[in-house]
Amino acid sequence: MLPAAVPSRQHTVQPMVTGTSVLGIVYDKGVLLAADTLLSYGSMAKAQNIPRLHVVENTVIGASGEYSDFQRILEILKAKALEETTTSVMDSLYTEESGMTAENTWNYLRMLLYSRRSKFNPFWNELLVAGKDLKGKPFLGSVDKIGTTVRDNFIATGFGAYLAMPLLREKWRPDLTEGEARALLEDCMKILFFRDCRASPRIQLAKCAYDEVLVSEPYELDTAAAWQAEAYRQSVGELEDDGGW
Amino acid sequence: MGTLMASTEASVEATSKPIEHRFSPYDFNGGTVAAVAGPDYVVVAADTRLSSGYEIKSRHVTKLHALTNQCILASAGCKTDVDQLRSVLDIRGKMYQHNHRKPMQTPSVAQMLSVTLYGKRFFPYYAFNVLAGMDAAGVGAVYSYDAIGSFERTGYSAAGSGQAYVIPFLDNVIGNRNRLEEKPVLAAQEVVELLKDAFLSAGERDIYTGDQVEIMVVTKDGIQTQTFALKAD
Repeated sequence: MLPAAVPSRQHTVQPMVTGTSVLGIVYDKGVLLAADTLLSYGSMAKAQNIPRLHVVENTVIGASGEYSDFQRILEILKAKALEETTTSVMDSLYTEESGMTAENTWNYLRMLLYSRRSKFNPFWNELLVAGKDLKGKPFLGSVDKIGTTVRDNFIATGFGAYLAMPLLREKWRPDLTEGEARALLEDCMKILFFRDCRASPRIQLAKCAYDEVLVSEPYELDTAAAWQAEAYRQSVGELEDDGGW
Repeated sequence: MGTLMASTEASVEATSKPIEHRFSPYDFNGGTVAAVAGPDYVVVAADTRLSSGYEIKSRHVTKLHALTNQCILASAGCKTDVDQLRSVLDIRGKMYQHNHRKPMQTPSVAQMLSVTLYGKRFFPYYAFNVLAGMDAAGVGAVYSYDAIGSFERTGYSAAGSGQAYVIPFLDNVIGNRNRLEEKPVLAAQEVVELLKDAFLSAGERDIYTGDQVEIMVVTKDGIQTQTFALKAD
């Protein structure tokens, strides 16, 4: 008896290797993104030094969710960029003058994710796209796995939407300097490390400003001082006379 | 003894059922839209909150989309489907304009929206639409739709999560229901004030409605927009 044939096309039912939150914030001169460098395999910390912020031409893309789907998306974007620069008889759309901006890439990603969800085989990601909009102003936008797009001055994906967004909403101003924006993002990343089980203190930043797009090397957040907090050293229950637990 | 045995069997069955994971292609992003037609104007309003579950994704996302300068589509439901629907309608409207050398009139847009929705009858656009525009005779027109394209021209309409709070109010104040005095003819600005009241009420009780209301008034001269703040809770 021959074994039953395994279908060659399978639809995504659940993510396997995942990244957690990505944060983004628009400041006076540009956009800053932050993400940790951890890939989780369920509750296992599978890889601890993997960048989740990538540069494609003049845009930074950060992804949370299924990492293999993010790798495929980057392949598609890089192939598209190459196609534009090598096959077009007109000036390439990736030249500085006309330029495919972050806003164009955001719309393209939206189309990609929507068409996959419509075939019930989604790219299981929430993506953050940062760079410039069609008018040259700082741009930050997100796309989720069913193609919902949001453009705003600060966005957080995954757990960050619950833990970091309240802080970002409270502290954001249109005239934030780069230092203030960075301090705010680092603060949020610390909170995420403390309260998100699938987060790590090893993070990476990316910046889009003054026509340059940079991604930092991963570095560790300084969380040593926080562990000395009273609440972590002695539980409140022990202080009560009734010995409650 | 007999009943004890039966209850044990029932609980064993309950725990051995398989659990099914299913990806849902839809998300409910909330919000309320409403429109009122007048003798030479139509007023359409929508809140600007985008929600997902108990989360607010954004406080300033528009639910109104001008298809021509005489016709506005207001949609609540699943934003990704609403965006796709708008793109499809824009493309079809543009093709019409190329072929006929004039923009589509509102009754034609209404029919086009219906067939576009029915075209996805077996995987619907999760969009609850209200179409508002000036008809061929220069009179305000409001059309209400369901998700698969069933539509009807009405004097006023509302859709979305706050629909149940807005429609009864409009029934009384615009439709003059359960009132003894004669139905007044309202000016556009009076209708704008009434819609503000409607959204204030909806915002009180509907968690998905709030932040801001975007109000557009369409006349033969085009579209004018104003905004009105709601509570952010």
